[in-house]
Amino acid sequence: MNAIETHGLIKHFGKRTAVDGLTMSVPEGSITGFIGPNGAGKTTTLRLLLGLVRPDAGSATVLGHSLTEFERYLPRVGALVEAPAVYPGLSGRTNLEVLARLGGHPRSRVGEVLETVELSDRARDRAGTYSLGMKQRLGVAMALLPDPELLILDEPANGLDPLGIIGMRGMLRLLRGQGKTILLSSHLLGELEHVADWLVMLHEGKSVYCGTARELLSQRVELVIEPEDDLQRELVTRITNAAGHAVTTEEGALRIACPAGFDKALDRQARETGVTNLTIRVEQPSLEQLFLALVKGQRP
Amino acid sequence: MTSVIRAFGSEVLKFRRWSVLAGTGAMVLVSTFIAYLTFHQIASGATGKEMTGLIEAFRTPQGLVAVIGQARSVIIAIALIMVAANLASEWTLGTLRNLLVLQPHRLRWLAGKMLALVLFVLLSMLLTLVVSGAFILILAPGQGIRTEAWTSADGLGIFVEFLGNEALCLVGISALGMLVAVLTRSVVTAVGVGLAYILVLEGIIAVVAPEVSQWFPGRVFNTIVGATVPMVGPTPLQGYPAALGAALLWIVGLVVVSAIVFPRQDVKA
Repeated sequence: MNAIETHGLIKHFGKRTAVDGLTMSVPEGSITGFIGPNGAGKTTTLRLLLGLVRPDAGSATVLGHSLTEFERYLPRVGALVEAPAVYPGLSGRTNLEVLARLGGHPRSRVGEVLETVELSDRARDRAGTYSLGMKQRLGVAMALLPDPELLILDEPANGLDPLGIIGMRGMLRLLRGQGKTILLSSHLLGELEHVADWLVMLHEGKSVYCGTARELLSQRVELVIEPEDDLQRELVTRITNAAGHAVTTEEGALRIACPAGFDKALDRQARETGVTNLTIRVEQPSLEQLFLALVKGQRP
Repeated sequence: MTSVIRAFGSEVLKFRRWSVLAGTGAMVLVSTFIAYLTFHQIASGATGKEMTGLIEAFRTPQGLVAVIGQARSVIIAIALIMVAANLASEWTLGTLRNLLVLQPHRLRWLAGKMLALVLFVLLSMLLTLVVSGAFILILAPGQGIRTEAWTSADGLGIFVEFLGNEALCLVGISALGMLVAVLTRSVVTAVGVGLAYILVLEGIIAVVAPEVSQWFPGRVFNTIVGATVPMVGPTPLQGYPAALGAALLWIVGLVVVSAIVFPRQDVKA
């Protein structure tokens, strides 16, 4: 069962296409990493799911309801979209009380979410005096206020210190343990690698990968080759490009994110051209390297 | 209805912000100061063509309203700023997206918020008139001015009538501020456009084509108050009942247009 499903979702802003036929799914009870470079359409997609902007074409369901019935599913959704938006002249607690009153949530819930994000000791201070990390935690508290089934968080780790990030990671796992679904947009791909069990990768408004994080990571490897001369370098680059994979250079070494097994094909083709001393090291690629490979047009 | 009440209650909490309270403070202080200056000029025997009407009305039951009503332009301008800036700030701060996720029925949220804002503006106006009125009543005996006519049944009746028309004027101004905020979605633009329209554009049209401008919203909201006590503003050329009808139609029109536009807008802030 999917908490979110989209089919061919399209959104234009003037002549610019922000979301371009997006088809993706988010399984219930998962932490889904939502990845994409700036301008890939992540935030617009989140806004579409939250009923803040209307799609031009396509369809979607959230918690079993069509996107057009957002009044029916939004009471079960908590969201932090883009930078946390607060009233700087009000205290953190009053900021939450404003939303609690609007949503019809009990005042006691405000204290609970302040405890959860560890902001109780500064709750009476003006939100305008908060650091970026504290505002971020206040934003997460706002998202948690309705005790949502689906939590949509856009860059929640922005501005958090290392301890804050570890705390956030623990909180997300705890929430998943309670059966909640979390859609987590982040630029910190290393962080997503730690917590996400499902990934949706976006590029130019389209999904380039939608599936389990484990599958993606196990299907692909990174080859590290240290060529002995320019001839070897040129040969490896030519064979790799012909196979449709990208080569990056790092401190003289060639790095290739590719499907498992390509190392054998590369070695065989190199031997056929007379190069027999090519040393290929196979490494587990990071999510970041996989993402870079995917947005350059490769498929797992 | 519950959603509207929740939105109202949520909005009331936001009035704790100093920027909101500063609007009321400015309204009270500036209006009282203008009332004091007017009173002082008359009490110290000033003469002048522009003062003739005021001086004549000063010792009649209309006297107090004529003095405290001199600051009406300030009250209108501050009310417009309060409403337009408050509503537009939800876009500027980005808080609108938090609010609309919690209350996706946009019109219910807007209705609750506007009810709270209009009530706040009206209470600010009432406080302003009470403070400036009390101030003048306290000052008057010291200057040898008799206040019996002002506090007579006639005087109080005029005050209540003035208050009612002023309240209607501010409801209209609030509706105008709402539409400007919904269309501009920015505090600076909303305040700039709102003030430029009321103070400059309608003023120019009033000079060039007064017969046309008498039906414009800013003009009709203003003139229905001038119908009670002519010294506090322009009187309606079309007569009070016609101006009152036009004011009510404008209020309905401004609310309807806002209610059509707002739910269809993309929230990109």
